Amino acid sequence: MGASQLSLSRKIYRSLAACEGRATGEEVEVVSVRYAWNELRRRFGRTIVTSLGLALGVGLVMGIVGVSEGLSDAQNRILSPLGSVGTDIIVTRTVAPTTSQTTTTTTTPGGFPGRGGGRYGGGGFFAPGTAGYGAASSEATSLLNNNSSIITDLKTLGKPGTKFTHDFLVPGTLITFPAVAVKDVAKIPDVTVAVGALSLEALHETGTVPKITATVKTGGQTLSKTVKPPTLTAAQRAKEGACVQKLLQKNFGGRTVGTGPAGSSGTRGPGGGRTYNFSGFGSNSALQKCMTPAQRSYNEKYVVPEQTISEVLSAPTTNTATSTYTVAGVDPAYPDSGLITKSQLTSGTWYTRNSADEVLVNTAYASTKHLRVGGSVTINKKNYKIVGLVAPTLTGNVSDIYFTLPTVQGLASAKGYVDEVLVSVNNSANVGAVTAAIKKELPGATVLTSRTLADQVSGSLNNAHKLANGLGVALAIVVLLAAFLIAALLTLSSVAKRVREIGSLRAIGWSRGRVVRQIMAETLGIGVVGAVIGLGVGVGVCAIISAIGPGLSVTSTGLAVGASSLSNGIGLSTTGTTTLLVHLNAPVHLATVGLAFLGAIVGGLLAGAAGGWRAARLAPASALRDLG
Amino acid sequence: MTTRSASPTDPTSPATEKDSPDGEPLYVLRSVERTFTKGGVSVHALRGIDLTLWAGEMVALEGPSGSGKSTLLQLLGALDLPTAGSIRFAGRELENASDRVLTRIRSEEIGFVFQHFNLIPTLTAQENVWIAMVPASTPHQAQVARAAELLDQVGLGHRVHHLPSRLSGGEQQRVAIARALANRPKVVIADEPTGNLDSKTGLEVIELLAELRDTAGVTVILATHDEEIGRRAERRVRLHDGRLVEDRAVTKARA
Repeated sequence: MGASQLSLSRKIYRSLAACEGRATGEEVEVVSVRYAWNELRRRFGRTIVTSLGLALGVGLVMGIVGVSEGLSDAQNRILSPLGSVGTDIIVTRTVAPTTSQTTTTTTTPGGFPGRGGGRYGGGGFFAPGTAGYGAASSEATSLLNNNSSIITDLKTLGKPGTKFTHDFLVPGTLITFPAVAVKDVAKIPDVTVAVGALSLEALHETGTVPKITATVKTGGQTLSKTVKPPTLTAAQRAKEGACVQKLLQKNFGGRTVGTGPAGSSGTRGPGGGRTYNFSGFGSNSALQKCMTPAQRSYNEKYVVPEQTISEVLSAPTTNTATSTYTVAGVDPAYPDSGLITKSQLTSGTWYTRNSADEVLVNTAYASTKHLRVGGSVTINKKNYKIVGLVAPTLTGNVSDIYFTLPTVQGLASAKGYVDEVLVSVNNSANVGAVTAAIKKELPGATVLTSRTLADQVSGSLNNAHKLANGLGVALAIVVLLAAFLIAALLTLSSVAKRVREIGSLRAIGWSRGRVVRQIMAETLGIGVVGAVIGLGVGVGVCAIISAIGPGLSVTSTGLAVGASSLSNGIGLSTTGTTTLLVHLNAPVHLATVGLAFLGAIVGGLLAGAAGGWRAARLAPASALRDLG
Repeated sequence: MTTRSASPTDPTSPATEKDSPDGEPLYVLRSVERTFTKGGVSVHALRGIDLTLWAGEMVALEGPSGSGKSTLLQLLGALDLPTAGSIRFAGRELENASDRVLTRIRSEEIGFVFQHFNLIPTLTAQENVWIAMVPASTPHQAQVARAAELLDQVGLGHRVHHLPSRLSGGEQQRVAIARALANRPKVVIADEPTGNLDSKTGLEVIELLAELRDTAGVTVILATHDEEIGRRAERRVRLHDGRLVEDRAVTKARA
């Protein structure tokens, strides 16, 4: 116990003493700091146990508060992606989740020749005359057509047995629509900027071109069948005989040919070549003219046509490795609006004049793929220079690689098509009106605002946040109360052990108030020690939580495409949901520290009050009782 | 207060008193009763005590266990109040005094010495003496100096910074005596002060109390079982079953 320390404390208490005072205005110590200090120091075990109880409580509360704050931070980051980039509304066209089953996996045997090549069926997005446009089935058909390019005959990539690397770009879950819609949206009043964008799923496939065909030759067989011809009437027979006779006289001179017996009538194949083999007369058409129509078909033969059929024997995926990533096309003319903005650049620059060959790369994707500014990415044997790294906002449209819009349209064979329009509104109050106008202008469009996006976000982050807000707060209160209770009980027990000591103090002239204050001074000291240890515990707990960083998923049913491939659970999904994985952080804010400190001190004072209450009830005479 | 110049015809003087000093008595007890009620059973610890004690006396309260001497000491020490009767201490009636007033009287006018010493185990000898002065208004430095001085006076000048656990029983009781004297009380009340000491040390403690009575003029009231100790007092008051059965002066108090 340092004397200077003591005198400093005395100075602090002296000012308090002035307030307390007695009627005479004398200077009296409110509490004996030296006594309290000695109690804490020399009853170290009790001090440390009680302090640790408080510290643990305070530390856990800090952890709980930290998690809650971390969740709030994460949620805020997720829920405010639109406003932060100057976009108020996103217009897309998605498949209604109800029809997802009909469009999920589609494998067509027999390859489509080459890439699908931009068949934007289903009547197009806003094409006139598409009655029943809103029907989900037509949306699904459109999406299927959009994605059909992925079902590709791999033999177009090379000879069987050769290695191939190819990137297939497909629209994923958003349906493309003509870029003219962007202009339509831009014309709506109160819209300041409307920028089109195209987000695509990219499948990067490497492997060996499989021998996928076998040639089978069919047809060439001759089929024959004898059919009994109908019996000729007498008149027919006479007519036919006369005709033949006349013919013979003309050609052979008087030779008579009798009408044959029953002929055969061949069945005419729908596409087969016909060969008439008239017995006895060859294909003498003159002779045939003498016959009745029924007898003309007599004794026909049918030859099945020869054809060669190539069939896929093995599925194209057999020897291929597929990885997915996401790409997007942004309009380089709008550096301040759209999927990504200039302000999101973390290094490098925005697109330059040669923007067609330039890309911006998501910072997270760049770090996993070891990409840097000045490097390049190769898509289908063409190099694109990385001019900058960007940190796009979490939800909504996060892609790995950002091309310019024309480049992506070219890669995806989707010239003139976009799959989303990002709209800025002059005033946030007008967002509702503009949303309605867009819905009217583009019937069936999915129009998302920050508000609707927030409503559509769900998943474990949301659940955890609700849990933290509800159960977490309750838990924090319970933990703190438990710590307070433990401290109070320990103090009560300490007071019970000090009955004679307290009685003696009362006997030698300590007032009830002084004894209570003295005990509270001691527990205040314990509270301070507990606060200091508790801060350490709390900071430690928060650091551990942040280090472990449990992943929490966020599911957004609003925007379907474009989640970075870094996030788990993204695939070709037509249900229009995006799942992101957010790592939990438990920050320690200054307010939390203050709260924790206050908590421990309040706990100490409460314990002191409990102990003091007990001590005040002790009769001074208890000092004289034989307790030995 | 050590002057004894009042009229000998004071009506409060006890009838039994043979060698009554002059002046205002320190204590005047009239028909004092103290009944403890616990669980519906009443225990009559004191059944009507009439007693007058004079300043500067050294009085031994004697009697077997349960005779009421501890209860009487509590009343004399302003630790407890009688259920009936009156106690007048230094001109003030105690029986209706508030806890605040009693606390102040204990602090400023009464010193206590206990059988079990009752030192604060976490405080040094000097701090234990000082702690009694904490409620007083004197400057801290003066209090600390006085504590050292008192310890020197009781022969513990060399052990001021020792914790009670490092002191012998006799030494601890000396610290307690120093503490009792800290606020210059009118009376020191000692409850079996030698009860936890061997007879030689006990006698030394009694000698010390007697010496302090002489030098500081303080009244000493002690309860004891010990005949030998009792003989050291100049007045012996014997209790039995809550009644005062004997009150006599010891003419040859000390050698």
